[in-house]
Amino acid sequence: MHPAAPRKQPRRKARLPALRLAFLALGLAATGAALAKPIAFQGGTTVMAEYGAGTMIEAQAFHAPSYRWSVGLGQLRLDADDESFSRDITYSRVNILVGRRNRPQSQANAFAWAGLGTADSSDDQGERLALNAGGQIDHETLRFYSSLRTDWHHSTSRFSHRIDTAQLGWAPYPHNWDRVATWFVVQGRNFTGGLYEDIEGALLLRLFRNGRSSAFWIEAGMTQDGRLQSMFMLNF
Amino acid sequence: MIPLRIVLLSAFLATSPNAIAENGGPTGGRTIEMRVDGLVCAFCAQGVSKKLAAQPSIEDVFVDLERGLVAVALRTGLDINDETLRETLTAAGYSLRQVERRTESLTELRARLEASRK
Repeated sequence: MHPAAPRKQPRRKARLPALRLAFLALGLAATGAALAKPIAFQGGTTVMAEYGAGTMIEAQAFHAPSYRWSVGLGQLRLDADDESFSRDITYSRVNILVGRRNRPQSQANAFAWAGLGTADSSDDQGERLALNAGGQIDHETLRFYSSLRTDWHHSTSRFSHRIDTAQLGWAPYPHNWDRVATWFVVQGRNFTGGLYEDIEGALLLRLFRNGRSSAFWIEAGMTQDGRLQSMFMLNF
Repeated sequence: MIPLRIVLLSAFLATSPNAIAENGGPTGGRTIEMRVDGLVCAFCAQGVSKKLAAQPSIEDVFVDLERGLVAVALRTGLDINDETLRETLTAAGYSLRQVERRTESLTELRARLEASRK
Protein backbone atom coordinates (compact mmCIF):
# COMPACT_ATOMS: atom_id res chain seq x y z
CA MET A 1 0.00 0.00 0.00
CA HIS A 2 1.59 3.17 -1.12
CA PRO A 3 1.51 6.12 1.25
CA ALA A 4 -0.44 8.98 -0.13
CA ALA A 5 1.81 11.48 -1.82
CA PRO A 6 2.07 14.55 0.36
CA ARG A 7 -0.22 17.18 -0.91
CA LYS A 8 1.67 20.23 -1.99
CA GLN A 9 0.35 23.10 0.05
CA PRO A 10 -1.25 25.43 -2.43
CA ARG A 11 0.43 28.78 -2.55
CA ARG A 12 -1.96 31.20 -0.94
CA LYS A 13 -2.24 34.29 -3.04
CA ALA A 14 -1.84 36.99 -0.44
CA ARG A 15 -4.20 39.71 -1.58
CA LEU A 16 -3.41 43.24 -0.61
CA PRO A 17 -5.81 44.38 2.11
CA ALA A 18 -7.80 47.42 1.11
CA LEU A 19 -6.21 49.50 3.84
CA ARG A 20 -2.70 48.78 2.63
CA LEU A 21 -3.70 49.51 -0.94
CA ALA A 22 -5.16 52.80 0.17
CA PHE A 23 -2.04 53.57 2.17
CA LEU A 24 0.15 52.85 -0.80
CA ALA A 25 -2.06 54.84 -3.15
CA LEU A 26 -1.98 57.75 -0.72
CA GLY A 27 1.75 57.59 -0.65
CA LEU A 28 1.94 57.57 -4.43
CA ALA A 29 -0.49 60.47 -4.73
CA ALA A 30 1.20 62.53 -2.06
CA THR A 31 4.63 62.03 -3.43
CA GLY A 32 5.36 61.77 -6.97
CA ALA A 33 10.70 60.36 -8.26
CA ALA A 34 14.61 54.38 -6.70
CA LEU A 35 17.39 52.68 -8.50
CA ALA A 36 19.50 54.20 -10.14
CA LYS A 37 19.50 56.50 -7.13
CA PRO A 38 16.93 56.59 -4.33
CA ILE A 39 17.27 60.38 -4.05
CA ALA A 40 16.56 62.52 -7.10
CA PHE A 41 17.05 66.18 -6.18
CA GLN A 42 15.71 68.60 -3.61
CA GLY A 43 11.96 68.75 -4.12
CA GLY A 44 12.04 65.87 -6.56
CA THR A 45 9.82 62.81 -6.59
CA THR A 46 10.58 59.39 -7.97
CA VAL A 47 8.11 56.61 -8.72
CA MET A 48 9.32 53.21 -9.79
CA ALA A 49 7.93 49.80 -10.62
CA GLU A 50 10.02 46.69 -11.16
CA TYR A 51 9.20 43.19 -12.30
CA GLY A 52 11.98 40.80 -11.38
CA ALA A 53 11.88 37.57 -13.32
CA GLY A 54 8.93 36.12 -11.49
CA THR A 55 10.79 36.32 -8.17
CA MET A 56 9.93 39.84 -7.17
CA ILE A 57 7.59 42.65 -8.04
CA GLU A 58 8.19 46.00 -6.42
CA ALA A 59 6.73 49.49 -6.56
CA GLN A 60 8.18 52.52 -4.81
CA ALA A 61 7.55 56.22 -4.52
CA PHE A 62 9.96 58.64 -2.90
CA HIS A 63 10.10 62.36 -2.30
CA ALA A 64 13.28 64.25 -1.47
CA PRO A 65 12.88 67.33 0.73
CA SER A 66 16.65 67.66 0.48
CA TYR A 67 19.29 66.29 -1.85
CA ARG A 68 20.64 64.49 1.20
CA TRP A 69 17.57 62.43 2.03
CA SER A 70 14.25 61.18 0.77
CA VAL A 71 11.27 59.39 2.26
CA GLY A 72 8.74 57.14 0.70
CA LEU A 73 6.76 53.96 0.51
CA GLY A 74 7.16 50.64 -1.18
CA GLN A 75 5.35 47.42 -1.87
CA LEU A 76 7.33 44.26 -2.47
CA ARG A 77 6.04 40.88 -3.56
CA LEU A 78 8.45 37.95 -3.33
CA ASP A 79 7.82 34.48 -4.69
CA ALA A 80 10.06 31.56 -3.80
CA ASP A 81 11.60 29.91 -6.83
CA ASP A 82 10.08 26.55 -5.90
CA GLU A 83 6.71 28.24 -5.37
CA SER A 84 6.66 27.03 -1.78
CA PHE A 85 5.66 30.42 -0.47
CA SER A 86 5.14 34.05 -1.32
CA ARG A 87 5.44 37.16 0.73
CA ASP A 88 4.00 40.65 0.51
CA ILE A 89 5.83 43.44 2.29
CA THR A 90 4.56 46.99 2.58
CA TYR A 91 7.13 49.38 3.90
CA SER A 92 8.07 52.95 4.56
CA ARG A 93 11.66 53.98 4.12
CA VAL A 94 14.08 56.83 4.63
CA ASN A 95 17.02 57.08 2.22
CA ILE A 96 20.15 59.01 3.08
CA LEU A 97 22.99 60.18 0.90
CA VAL A 98 25.94 59.08 2.99
CA GLY A 99 28.54 60.52 0.67
CA ARG A 100 29.00 61.88 -2.83
CA ARG A 101 32.01 62.73 -4.90
CA ASN A 102 31.45 64.95 -7.89
CA ARG A 103 34.23 65.12 -10.44
CA PRO A 104 34.29 66.81 -13.87
CA GLN A 105 33.58 63.51 -15.64
CA SER A 106 32.08 61.31 -12.95
CA GLN A 107 29.93 60.97 -9.90
CA ALA A 108 30.23 58.43 -7.10
CA ASN A 109 27.62 57.92 -4.40
CA ALA A 110 26.97 56.00 -1.23
CA PHE A 111 23.39 55.64 -0.01
CA ALA A 112 21.85 53.94 3.00
CA TRP A 113 18.24 53.33 3.90
CA ALA A 114 16.09 51.88 6.61
CA GLY A 115 12.45 51.59 7.42
CA LEU A 116 9.52 49.70 8.86
CA GLY A 117 6.64 47.84 7.35
CA THR A 118 4.38 44.86 7.53
CA ALA A 119 4.77 41.45 5.95
CA ASP A 120 2.17 38.90 5.03
CA SER A 121 3.41 35.46 4.02
CA SER A 122 1.59 32.54 2.51
CA ASP A 123 3.26 30.19 5.01
CA ASP A 124 2.28 32.22 8.02
CA GLN A 125 -0.79 33.64 9.65
CA GLY A 126 -1.40 37.35 9.89
CA GLU A 127 0.64 40.40 9.26
CA ARG A 128 3.97 40.85 11.01
CA LEU A 129 6.16 43.82 11.66
CA ALA A 130 9.07 43.87 9.22
CA LEU A 131 12.26 45.86 9.17
CA ASN A 132 14.08 46.84 6.03
CA ALA A 133 17.53 48.27 5.51
CA GLY A 134 20.11 48.47 2.81
CA GLY A 135 22.71 50.41 0.99
CA GLN A 136 24.12 51.20 -2.38
CA ILE A 137 27.38 52.44 -3.77
CA ASP A 138 27.71 53.48 -7.36
CA HIS A 139 30.06 55.16 -9.77
CA GLU A 140 29.03 56.70 -13.04
CA THR A 141 30.48 58.44 -16.06
CA LEU A 142 28.78 59.23 -19.34
CA ARG A 143 29.85 55.81 -20.68
CA PHE A 144 30.23 53.44 -17.71
CA TYR A 145 28.11 52.66 -14.70
CA SER A 146 28.72 50.31 -11.79
CA SER A 147 26.79 49.71 -8.61
CA LEU A 148 26.50 47.38 -5.66
CA ARG A 149 23.30 47.28 -3.71
CA THR A 150 21.88 45.24 -0.86
CA ASP A 151 18.30 45.10 0.39
CA TRP A 152 17.49 43.34 3.63
CA HIS A 153 14.01 42.50 4.93
CA HIS A 154 13.60 40.99 8.36
CA SER A 155 10.78 39.95 10.61
CA THR A 156 11.87 38.51 13.93
CA SER A 157 11.37 34.73 14.15
CA ARG A 158 9.56 34.78 10.80
CA PHE A 159 11.92 35.50 7.98
CA SER A 160 15.08 37.24 7.06
CA HIS A 161 16.22 37.62 3.52
CA ARG A 162 18.52 39.77 1.56
CA ILE A 163 18.75 40.68 -2.11
CA ASP A 164 22.20 41.68 -3.33
CA THR A 165 22.46 43.27 -6.75
CA ALA A 166 25.50 44.16 -8.80
CA GLN A 167 25.27 46.08 -12.05
CA LEU A 168 27.73 47.04 -14.74
CA GLY A 169 26.57 49.32 -17.51
CA TRP A 170 27.99 50.55 -20.75
CA ALA A 171 26.68 53.30 -23.02
CA PRO A 172 27.52 52.97 -26.71
CA TYR A 173 27.42 56.76 -27.00
CA PRO A 174 27.60 59.61 -24.48
CA HIS A 175 24.03 60.94 -24.23
CA ASN A 176 23.24 64.57 -23.90
CA TRP A 177 20.50 66.48 -22.23
CA ASP A 178 17.73 66.21 -24.78
CA ARG A 179 18.57 62.83 -26.31
CA VAL A 180 17.58 59.32 -25.40
CA ALA A 181 20.30 57.64 -23.41
CA THR A 182 21.00 53.99 -24.20
CA TRP A 183 22.72 51.62 -21.82
CA PHE A 184 23.49 47.93 -21.85
CA VAL A 185 23.55 46.56 -18.34
CA VAL A 186 24.73 43.27 -16.94
CA GLN A 187 23.14 42.44 -13.62
CA GLY A 188 23.79 39.77 -11.05
CA ARG A 189 21.38 39.23 -8.21
CA ASN A 190 21.71 36.97 -5.20
CA PHE A 191 18.79 36.08 -2.94
CA THR A 192 19.06 34.65 0.56
CA GLY A 193 16.35 33.29 2.82
CA GLY A 194 15.04 30.54 0.61
CA LEU A 195 13.81 32.72 -2.21
CA TYR A 196 16.11 31.59 -5.00
CA GLU A 197 18.92 29.09 -4.90
CA ASP A 198 21.25 30.48 -7.50
CA ILE A 199 22.68 33.76 -8.63
CA GLU A 200 20.31 35.32 -11.09
CA GLY A 201 22.01 36.96 -14.02
CA ALA A 202 20.31 39.31 -16.44
CA LEU A 203 21.16 41.33 -19.49
CA LEU A 204 19.21 44.57 -19.68
CA LEU A 205 18.60 47.39 -22.11
CA ARG A 206 18.11 50.70 -20.35
CA LEU A 207 16.69 53.80 -22.02
CA PHE A 208 16.04 57.13 -20.39
CA ARG A 209 15.27 60.61 -21.48
CA ASN A 210 14.92 63.98 -19.91
CA GLY A 211 11.82 66.00 -20.63
CA ARG A 212 10.79 69.50 -19.76
CA SER A 213 9.02 68.59 -16.54
CA SER A 214 9.98 64.99 -15.93
CA ALA A 215 12.47 62.32 -16.83
CA PHE A 216 11.54 58.74 -17.60
CA TRP A 217 13.51 55.53 -17.52
CA ILE A 218 12.60 52.15 -18.89
CA GLU A 219 14.61 48.99 -18.63
CA ALA A 220 13.96 45.49 -19.87
CA GLY A 221 15.87 42.31 -20.39
CA MET A 222 16.09 38.62 -19.72
CA THR A 223 17.66 36.46 -17.05
CA GLN A 224 19.89 33.54 -17.91
CA ASP A 225 16.88 31.24 -17.82
CA GLY A 226 14.76 33.35 -20.10
CA ARG A 227 12.63 35.24 -17.61
CA LEU A 228 11.65 38.85 -18.02
CA GLN A 229 13.23 41.55 -15.91
CA SER A 230 11.87 45.07 -16.34
CA MET A 231 11.65 48.41 -14.61
CA PHE A 232 10.02 51.76 -15.16
CA MET A 233 10.93 54.93 -13.32
CA LEU A 234 9.77 58.51 -13.45
CA ASN A 235 11.42 61.57 -11.90
CA PHE A 236 9.53 64.83 -11.59
CA MET B 1 23.21 117.83 -41.39
CA ILE B 2 21.52 114.46 -41.02
CA PRO B 3 17.78 114.63 -41.61
CA LEU B 4 15.78 114.20 -38.40
CA ARG B 5 13.77 111.35 -39.87
CA ILE B 6 16.94 109.36 -40.50
CA VAL B 7 18.11 109.98 -36.97
CA LEU B 8 14.77 108.91 -35.54
CA LEU B 9 14.63 105.84 -37.78
CA SER B 10 18.16 104.84 -36.79
CA ALA B 11 17.34 105.26 -33.13
CA PHE B 12 14.22 103.13 -33.54
CA LEU B 13 16.14 100.35 -35.29
CA ALA B 14 18.93 100.45 -32.74
CA THR B 15 16.53 100.01 -29.87
CA SER B 16 14.36 97.31 -31.41
CA PRO B 17 14.36 94.00 -29.50
CA ASN B 18 16.26 92.12 -32.18
CA ALA B 19 18.97 94.72 -32.40
CA ILE B 20 19.41 94.80 -28.66
CA ALA B 21 19.54 91.03 -28.49
CA GLU B 22 22.22 90.88 -31.16
CA ASN B 23 24.23 93.54 -29.43
CA GLY B 24 23.93 91.75 -26.10
CA GLY B 25 21.85 94.55 -24.62
CA PRO B 26 19.14 94.51 -21.94
CA THR B 27 16.65 92.19 -23.63
CA GLY B 28 19.10 89.42 -24.44
CA GLY B 29 22.64 88.26 -24.65
CA ARG B 30 23.38 87.94 -20.93
CA THR B 31 24.27 84.45 -19.97
CA ILE B 32 26.09 82.79 -17.14
CA GLU B 33 28.19 79.81 -18.07
CA MET B 34 29.01 77.35 -15.31
CA ARG B 35 31.30 74.37 -15.11
CA VAL B 36 29.62 71.76 -12.95
CA ASP B 37 31.07 68.56 -11.54
CA GLY B 38 29.13 65.30 -11.36
CA LEU B 39 26.95 66.08 -14.36
CA VAL B 40 26.98 62.67 -16.03
CA CYS B 41 23.38 61.53 -16.22
CA ALA B 42 20.45 63.38 -17.78
CA PHE B 43 17.92 61.40 -15.77
CA CYS B 44 19.54 62.32 -12.48
CA ALA B 45 20.43 65.86 -13.56
CA GLN B 46 16.86 66.81 -14.34
CA GLY B 47 16.87 68.67 -11.06
CA VAL B 48 19.47 71.10 -12.40
CA SER B 49 17.16 72.57 -15.01
CA LYS B 50 14.13 72.51 -12.71
CA LYS B 51 15.79 74.29 -9.83
CA LEU B 52 17.54 76.86 -12.02
CA ALA B 53 14.39 77.54 -14.03
CA ALA B 54 12.57 78.20 -10.77
CA GLN B 55 14.87 81.16 -10.05
CA PRO B 56 13.03 84.40 -10.89
CA SER B 57 16.02 85.93 -12.65
CA ILE B 58 16.58 82.99 -15.00
CA GLU B 59 14.79 82.85 -18.33
CA ASP B 60 16.23 79.72 -19.87
CA VAL B 61 18.59 76.90 -19.01
CA PHE B 62 20.96 74.93 -21.21
CA VAL B 63 22.83 71.82 -20.10
CA ASP B 64 25.69 70.13 -21.92
CA LEU B 65 26.58 66.87 -20.19
CA GLU B 66 29.63 66.12 -22.31
CA ARG B 67 31.25 69.38 -21.31
CA GLY B 68 29.90 69.42 -17.77
CA LEU B 69 28.42 72.78 -18.59
CA VAL B 70 25.28 74.54 -17.44
CA ALA B 71 24.35 77.91 -18.93
CA VAL B 72 21.49 80.19 -18.03
CA ALA B 73 20.00 83.17 -19.79
CA LEU B 74 19.07 86.03 -17.49
CA ARG B 75 15.82 87.91 -17.64
CA THR B 76 15.97 91.55 -18.61
CA GLY B 77 17.17 93.71 -15.79
CA LEU B 78 17.66 90.81 -13.38
CA ASP B 79 20.71 89.02 -12.14
CA ILE B 80 21.68 86.20 -9.79
CA ASN B 81 24.75 86.04 -7.61
CA ASP B 82 27.29 83.27 -7.63
CA GLU B 83 26.40 82.07 -4.14
CA THR B 84 22.78 81.51 -5.10
CA LEU B 85 23.91 79.59 -8.17
CA ARG B 86 26.16 77.45 -6.00
CA GLU B 87 23.37 76.72 -3.51
CA THR B 88 20.94 75.90 -6.31
CA LEU B 89 23.29 73.45 -7.94
CA THR B 90 24.19 71.91 -4.60
CA ALA B 91 20.49 71.39 -3.88
CA ALA B 92 20.29 69.59 -7.22
CA GLY B 93 23.15 67.31 -6.12
CA TYR B 94 26.08 68.80 -8.05
CA SER B 95 29.16 70.90 -7.44
CA LEU B 96 29.76 74.28 -9.02
CA ARG B 97 33.37 74.64 -10.11
CA GLN B 98 33.51 77.80 -12.21
CA VAL B 99 31.27 80.72 -13.15
CA GLU B 100 31.73 82.94 -16.17
CA ARG B 101 29.43 85.77 -17.18
CA ARG B 102 29.07 86.41 -20.86
CA THR B 103 27.43 88.96 -23.09
CA GLU B 104 26.49 86.44 -25.78
CA SER B 105 22.97 85.04 -25.89
CA LEU B 106 22.14 81.47 -25.03
CA THR B 107 21.48 80.84 -28.71
CA GLU B 108 24.93 82.13 -29.59
CA LEU B 109 26.48 80.04 -26.87
CA ARG B 110 24.76 76.91 -28.16
CA ALA B 111 25.88 77.68 -31.69
CA ARG B 112 29.45 78.16 -30.51
CA LEU B 113 29.45 74.86 -28.69
CA GLU B 114 27.91 73.06 -31.64
CA ALA B 115 30.51 74.52 -33.97
CA SER B 116 33.32 73.39 -31.72
CA ARG B 117 31.88 69.88 -31.66
CA LYS B 118 32.30 69.47 -35.42
